[in-house]
Amino acid sequence: MSTDWVTVIAQVANFLVLVWLLKRFLYKPILNGIDAREAEIADRMSEAERAKTKAAAAEAEFVARKQRLQVEDAAIVDAVHKEAQRQRDTLLAEARQKLELEQRDWRAHLEREQQKFTAELYRAGADTLYQLVRKALHDLADESLEERIVLHVTVQLKSMASELLAAAGNSETAVAITHTALPDGARATLTRELQALLPDVPLRFVKDEHQAPGLILRIGSAQLAWTVDSYTEEMADLLSERLATGGLGRVAGNDR
Amino acid sequence: MQLMPDEIIVFTIGGFGFNETIVYTWVVMAILTGSSIIITRNLRPDVPPNRWRTALEVIVTVIQGQIEDIARHASRHVLYFSGTLFLFIATSNLLLVVPGFSPPTASLSTTAALALSVLIAVPLFGISTKGLGGYLKSYTQPSVIMLPFNIISEFSWGLSLSIRLYGNVMSGAVIAGILLGLAPFFFPVVMDALGLLTGLIQAYIFAVLATVYISLATTKPGEPIKKEQS
Repeated sequence: MSTDWVTVIAQVANFLVLVWLLKRFLYKPILNGIDAREAEIADRMSEAERAKTKAAAAEAEFVARKQRLQVEDAAIVDAVHKEAQRQRDTLLAEARQKLELEQRDWRAHLEREQQKFTAELYRAGADTLYQLVRKALHDLADESLEERIVLHVTVQLKSMASELLAAAGNSETAVAITHTALPDGARATLTRELQALLPDVPLRFVKDEHQAPGLILRIGSAQLAWTVDSYTEEMADLLSERLATGGLGRVAGNDR
Repeated sequence: MQLMPDEIIVFTIGGFGFNETIVYTWVVMAILTGSSIIITRNLRPDVPPNRWRTALEVIVTVIQGQIEDIARHASRHVLYFSGTLFLFIATSNLLLVVPGFSPPTASLSTTAALALSVLIAVPLFGISTKGLGGYLKSYTQPSVIMLPFNIISEFSWGLSLSIRLYGNVMSGAVIAGILLGLAPFFFPVVMDALGLLTGLIQAYIFAVLATVYISLATTKPGEPIKKEQS
């Protein structure tokens, strides 16, 4: 075993050169690359941390905004509910008012129709009653109802002569109103009898289809009526009473 | 059987003969430097690392980690020195498996040169860290009486380093030569495999010891562990 010192010195030199070469081409590039990568990773991590912080802030803002929107939504829904309730109450009140008005109008219309029907019924009843009585009197007794009414009136006028004179006053004419035209005989009889009581007051005859059958004598402010109105009212009362008893009961006084 | 590659002259230039030790050392240097240049040529932050670069990074970082575990002053200069020691010795020993290749570390001249390098590097690291006065003062620690013993110790561990490396590498070659005569077709394979293992271990031990000596030379008494980047 021997040592070649020239080789030793050459190997020392070779080793030092190798140290420089590896430092130049291995250690520095590798370590600098690792450092650069670590720095890049650190930068990315810090950037990720910043992004995370930013995302957290955005999330917090989003949550806060969502809560605000929820509160606003609740307020809006509450306001809408209140407005809907108010409008519903208003519409209900208007509907009730309108319904009441329509009911009132309907009741008024019904009442008018009832009054009209009643009036027509009265008139038709009176007319029918008058025609029946007239026909029965003519068929059974060969008498004219108008003439008998005039005769009855003349009898009544005599008993009321003083009241007629007072009522006539300064009247210039007397009016006899009938539903249908009086026969000539009846007209002459009534004219003669009234002239006997009131010679200065001429009698005039008027036909009024709206007038109830019978005779109405108007002298000044006085008016004497012999019509079937009272009988018609009595007939209506009898019919009402009969309807109230179910149509089976007998009318009081009908047995006479 | 030729045991010393120093005695084999490969070529001569100007009367100076270049033996196998020097030539194969250049081969090892070329392999290490060339592979480093090829692997690190496209080393940029925007280029993703390939498997070779990753392997190289693993080797460098492992060496750096070992040095940081041992040395208190884990500067990059220690990495350059001790890491080169390890890579050179390991590569030389691993190339033992290449037919016709004679490891430079099988030469006492190479091991002596490496030990001499450590012997010179230790005081230089110590002086750069402590200053000239501080380093010379360390020879009188703990007392002036210890001065001759410290000087003897300084040279003896350098000598032991060189002899240890040479002995281990050469022992493998000697044993292989003896066994080759006994069983020429079986033992060389086993001895080559064993040589790879012992070669790596020797490289590790040599580099670790060098790092320990540098660490001892650069450490002040009671100084806490500190890592430096330069």
